[in-house]
Amino acid sequence: MTEPSKKAATREIVERNLPARYRSESRFRTAGIVAIIVSVIILVLLIGSIGLKSLPAYTAWQIHLPVALDQALVDPEGDSSEASIRQGSFGRVLQNGMRETFPDVSGRSNMRSLFQLYTSLNSTRLMDQVIADPGLIGSDYVFTMPLGDDLDLYLKGMLVEDRSVEMNGVLEIEAGRRRTNIQSQSADFAIVLAELQQMMIDEALSLESRAAANRTLMASVDAEEADRLNEEAARFDQRAQVLRTDAAGENGQLELSDDLPSVIVEFRGGAIRMNRLDLNGQGGSGESILSIAENRSDEAWTLYVVDTPQARRRIPDNQLIWTRALVERGIVTQAFNHYFFANADSREPELAGIRGALNGSILTLIVTLLLSIPVGIATAIYLEEFAPKNKFTDLIEVNINNLAAVPSIIFGLLGVAIFIDVFSLPRGTPVLGGLVLSLMTLPTIIIATRASLKAVPPSIRQAALGVGASRTQSVFHHVLPLATPGILTGSIIGLSRALGETAPLLMIGMVAFIADAPKLSLEGFTEPATVLPVQIYLWYSAAERAFEPRAAAAIIVLLTLIISFNAVAVYLRRKFERRW
Amino acid sequence: MSVISLVALALLVMVAGGFYMGRTRAIKQVAGRSSELHSLPNYYGYYVALWTGFPALLLLAAYGLFGAASTHSWTVAELRAQAHEMSAQFEGDLAANSEYVQLESTLESLELTVNGLREELARLRRANDADRDPHLIQLRLEEQRSSRALLALAGTSIEDYRTGVATGMLVTARETGVAASIRAGFFLTHSDIVRAELFMSDARKIARGETPSELLPELEIVASRLTDHQNTLRNSVGLLVLALAAIALLWTRSQIQPQFRARNNVERLTTVLLIAASILSIITTIGIVLSMLFESMRFFSIIPIQDFLFGLHWSPQIAIREDQLGQSGAFGAIPLFAGTAMITLIAMLVAVPIGLFSAIYLSEYAAPKFRTIAKPVLEVLAGVPTVVFGFFALLTVGPAIRALFTSLGFESAVTQSALSAGLVMGVMIIPFISSLSDDVINAVPQSLRDGSYAMGATRSETVVHVVIPAALPGIFGAVLLAISRAIGETMIVVMAAGQGANLTANPLESVTTITVQIVALLTGDLEFEGPKTLSAFALGLTLFAVTLLMNVIALRVVQKYREKYD
Repeated sequence: MTEPSKKAATREIVERNLPARYRSESRFRTAGIVAIIVSVIILVLLIGSIGLKSLPAYTAWQIHLPVALDQALVDPEGDSSEASIRQGSFGRVLQNGMRETFPDVSGRSNMRSLFQLYTSLNSTRLMDQVIADPGLIGSDYVFTMPLGDDLDLYLKGMLVEDRSVEMNGVLEIEAGRRRTNIQSQSADFAIVLAELQQMMIDEALSLESRAAANRTLMASVDAEEADRLNEEAARFDQRAQVLRTDAAGENGQLELSDDLPSVIVEFRGGAIRMNRLDLNGQGGSGESILSIAENRSDEAWTLYVVDTPQARRRIPDNQLIWTRALVERGIVTQAFNHYFFANADSREPELAGIRGALNGSILTLIVTLLLSIPVGIATAIYLEEFAPKNKFTDLIEVNINNLAAVPSIIFGLLGVAIFIDVFSLPRGTPVLGGLVLSLMTLPTIIIATRASLKAVPPSIRQAALGVGASRTQSVFHHVLPLATPGILTGSIIGLSRALGETAPLLMIGMVAFIADAPKLSLEGFTEPATVLPVQIYLWYSAAERAFEPRAAAAIIVLLTLIISFNAVAVYLRRKFERRW
Repeated sequence: MSVISLVALALLVMVAGGFYMGRTRAIKQVAGRSSELHSLPNYYGYYVALWTGFPALLLLAAYGLFGAASTHSWTVAELRAQAHEMSAQFEGDLAANSEYVQLESTLESLELTVNGLREELARLRRANDADRDPHLIQLRLEEQRSSRALLALAGTSIEDYRTGVATGMLVTARETGVAASIRAGFFLTHSDIVRAELFMSDARKIARGETPSELLPELEIVASRLTDHQNTLRNSVGLLVLALAAIALLWTRSQIQPQFRARNNVERLTTVLLIAASILSIITTIGIVLSMLFESMRFFSIIPIQDFLFGLHWSPQIAIREDQLGQSGAFGAIPLFAGTAMITLIAMLVAVPIGLFSAIYLSEYAAPKFRTIAKPVLEVLAGVPTVVFGFFALLTVGPAIRALFTSLGFESAVTQSALSAGLVMGVMIIPFISSLSDDVINAVPQSLRDGSYAMGATRSETVVHVVIPAALPGIFGAVLLAISRAIGETMIVVMAAGQGANLTANPLESVTTITVQIVALLTGDLEFEGPKTLSAFALGLTLFAVTLLMNVIALRVVQKYREKYD
């Protein structure tokens, strides 16, 4: 009876191991699901994070500035001709408009600050509008222009940390020439004052601890280094001392430096930037940036605190105050950012758009399409239908497979060495870009076309030959039409890759700053241009922060294009795919 | 509308007309009984149209490729010829100048010394081991190095002297009112390449109506010559194209007779065109190889190849400023290779497990419905342009990694780190690996799986012990292709990995890669040919060679494997 017992033993072993095996099975399965979920999460994260970053780019705060288009300023010759209008001083027109809006701003530096609410490039836009409609000359006109990029970000809450507190105490304001004194009946400023003092003490403490750290370090380094550390520690201590004295206040007042948060009192349409706060928390003195309206008698006022110190941001307090006033008066409003879709690149983020890059991409893709699709299809037809099996054909095949895997940057080097250096083709033009990209996409198209030619069953060819067609006729009249959906799909996917390609175009000089969108005409092919992915790269490397959301928005546009290209390809494949 | 587009339009009309004329002539000759023709009537049309269009189109394309270059060299040659007298006077002046003659004789004697030393060294090295004197060789090597440096110095000073004299002559020429075209020609003959290039690019800018960096009467005259020659060339090419098309049209039309074998002719021409198209891909490869080889050779003639391949220090900027012969150490590419390797390794650690598990799940476990959802997601991920991944790496992943590691106590963590670039590159490669592996796993015959299930194996046991070993060569090929892709990837590393050539094993530091340096060396307005620009081609050649090797191996492996189960 050994046989059954042995069987039982095997069975026992199997059954004993079974739970562990099932566990490892489910672990394995989970690992697979996790891998896919990770990919999905990354895709969502990628598109989500870029989408979020792009949000500020879709809207723009605009100034609707009333300007007087005096004939003397805008049409010096007085004949309403384009030449005359081009000599007009439109910058002055805008400046006058701003001065009318804020009549109490005086002083050279304040004026300059006021005129920085918008970029001076807008004067050219105003000029173009007057040239388009000379009837405007002499009239009062409301000119719409985008607010400066930093202020735009400020209004979108991305540049500074700030808070405003509505107050209801009664204010007494005593306006002097230089200084405006404020007194409140209750200790309205006490909380802010305490915060500021705490901030200074904290800073002093951190400086003192750094000094102490330096002194401990001194023991373990050589004499020279120790001296340096000691000096630094002394400097830290000195600064801490100064801070502590400042925090204690002088003459019953605390002085607010540019390294501290700004405290602004807004009252009856006016605004006062506080320079000193009384230590009793009831008031202080400051500089009147906007004068208080005489005809108003409302008592409510706002304490506006900008926590980011003036020294650590690009926009000064007075610009913030003016901007807030403009928003309150309805002169600055938020609207859809049409500049982003209508304009070409610009040095100023608020005027920069993707139009130029989009046109460049279209022109480049047209060249790519015209070159790579006919050549690619011809190569595939030859290799699949006509080529004899020999060494030479093998060589071409291996070569094409390898070209498909050559890094794209190599094609950029080829463009530089051959097309620019040898053939002197103009740098950075859609013709050159399209040429390089078509060499790059050629293998993709060839491989896709060959696959779809191969999928056409031999019976089609035999039938065609059987009724007396020549080989060329059988291919061009019967096989090729049947393979068209597959060829189309492959070509679209190749083109969508070309649309997103950046590296080779960087090398052949499509990175130039192009302020005018290239025309969608024959001339456009030989004018310097840039393409969408390169525009994204350019904006990403630009200094201004406001370019970042624009780069993200350009990515969203690019992704939309590429995904719709792919969707069309998938649709074509599904719709026309034939199983033989 | 430009002349060329007019010509192109006229050509198009002629092609269409050719088709119509060929067809009608054939039909007319048999009085409408087309069954008496050798070929279908359309083929007579195609025959005329093809011959009308193609030779003319080729000429037009050749003009497009070579037109700019030939206008340029024509203008330069003409200007130089005009300045012939002035150049002769210049050489005469120099020959009469004792200081210059002195310099030249120094140069010659130095050349002799260097040549002598080279011959002696060669003789010393050829000597038998017994006679070999390593000390003497060392000594001569030192001597050779120093006299080479001297030679370079003498060469530069002679160039400087010539440029100085030439500039002086130009100033006098301007004062005495010598024609601007002669001065321009003289300048182009005797200034160094960089300045001549800048001069010509300014002239081209004026000719195109753009703003040049400076406005000189010389530039304007060169620009006007350029425009003239461009117009002449364009008009004559345009005429030639039309004439060629017209002649071809008339001649082919005259050939048409009922017994003319139009179809065979057209088909022969079609085949030739198809072959020409397939040869284009070979030409591309040859173009890549030749251009890189040529430029790299020039680079290696300045910087020895072993210094490039094994040098530990990479800073191409320094080499420009200091003496280029002595500063070969600045072109050591090891830091770039190391950086590339580290980022590739990180990318593979991310991409291989995730990609492989996705592929296994999709092909072995997933229900068809799940597949139809998951596959497009991976395809979308595969279609995302690399510049987008770079943006994501720099603005989302980089800061997150930095924050994470700084909070863990790694104070040195930076935003542009090898880790963030590698992770994001891994993500980019996931769909690549998963789709390739999916193909190879699907190619494993079902019978192998059935056999395994019949033995009582679970699905995971079947995958691990049967499917994966059977698919291993294919997976290996896929990984190899993925590595070659990671090495050649550019935008992610340009944006997220940084520029500093650090030789480090710490993935939290910023490293640089081959591709980053190629982009850094070749973008910007630098058009002149120092070792700096040439080194980009040496890097490109290295990149091309490595990726080519990997691709060849991978394609071989995959192909062999396919044959096994086909």
